[in-house]
Amino acid sequence: MSAEPDDLDLRAAEYVLGLLTPVEAEETRRALTQSDELARAVAHWESLLMPLAGALQPEPPPPLIWQRLEAELGVRQFAQASITPFPSRPLLGRIGFWRGATAAAGALAACLALLLLRTPPTGPHYAAAIAPMQGPAATWLAETRPDGVLVVSALGQTARPAGKDLELWALAPGATKPVSLGVLPVSGTPVVVAATLPRDRLQLLVSVEPAGGSPSGQPTGPVLYAGTLTKTE
Amino acid sequence: MLIARLDIPSSSAIYCGTIGSLPMVALGGHEDLLNETSRTVGLEMLLERCAVGDQAAFRQLYDLSAPQLYAVALRITRQPSLAADAVHDAFLQVWQHADRFDAARGNAETWLTSLARYRALDLIRRHGREVGGVEVPDQADEEPGQLDRLIRQREGAALGRCLDTLETDKRQLVMLAFLDGLTHAELAFRLKAPLGTVKSWIRRGLMDLRRCLEA
Repeated sequence: MSAEPDDLDLRAAEYVLGLLTPVEAEETRRALTQSDELARAVAHWESLLMPLAGALQPEPPPPLIWQRLEAELGVRQFAQASITPFPSRPLLGRIGFWRGATAAAGALAACLALLLLRTPPTGPHYAAAIAPMQGPAATWLAETRPDGVLVVSALGQTARPAGKDLELWALAPGATKPVSLGVLPVSGTPVVVAATLPRDRLQLLVSVEPAGGSPSGQPTGPVLYAGTLTKTE
Repeated sequence: MLIARLDIPSSSAIYCGTIGSLPMVALGGHEDLLNETSRTVGLEMLLERCAVGDQAAFRQLYDLSAPQLYAVALRITRQPSLAADAVHDAFLQVWQHADRFDAARGNAETWLTSLARYRALDLIRRHGREVGGVEVPDQADEEPGQLDRLIRQREGAALGRCLDTLETDKRQLVMLAFLDGLTHAELAFRLKAPLGTVKSWIRRGLMDLRRCLEA
């Protein structure tokens, strides 16, 4: 293969499109690790051409695919719970504001003012501060949105031991075992918990777990933070 | 009016947060709520969390992207079992190497599609296409809905419009190559045209396409 830029670019395009014979494709794949220029050209063509996949109607994948992944990777089932991040930028601005605000003596008044300003929800509203059992201040706010979805937002830096993760758990009143709501993101991104759990007096716990979350499906490390969802109207 | 009664331990600082005005972007099982920009942002955040071993994020990523990846793989392999293998292998790579995703080099959807598509191409080159699989249409233009579908999407709109400006032969070749995963030789056979001609048409098609996309 010649090193002419045009040839390189063409080879990248043909590789991305899938036109090359298996031998040529393998050669190109090997060359990719050697040549930054080729890797850049391939990445560029991928970004130009991959949206073409959207020309196809999505097809429901056979359940077997996920079952295999689950078995091979030891991915636990998250019964009816799912956590999805949402963009943190607008919120981060407000967190910055609140960091400043919480340092001030009038912080509580400011918080209440904000609460009073919010649009009244249609459903009952529950909120909990997930606060440290001991140690320096670092916490999350959990609350239900008008549609009943629970949102957990980090309100400061949360230190965690190296190589460990913080996992969020929900313990319903009367229940003996908490349900995992997933590993809390390091970045402080707010998480949405769409689990069908009772809201009232739901205890939210945060424990220290091995990276990736508790291997057993139950907390294995110390519970460092806790809060209880309380109805506010 | 509402006053939140927050359990605030006296030993810690007082915390408060925004309530009720958070922009919702992605919520499991409500994909219809997502527009494509937030979908892409959502996928990137989910990948970031897969990289730190968040299994719930992995499941969410799978639910959001597997149907499109499976469609891509099925179209190339024409066999549900091979397509399933391709998607499985792609997600295996996602879980094991989510940290290799580089947002600077392309968006999450591009990365995910690439993983599944290259894998499907590998499998089909190795196993060959079985006669009796899903039927192959004679010509890409037999499915005129494809371009329309592409143009309606935010991510694919520019590409769809640029494909539309290509000469019919070039467009057919690019789409057959991408969607069906045909090699130069297979394209020549399908279009009953000399190999050299097919190669040069498709090169010109690709260059025209890029010129249009980068204009």
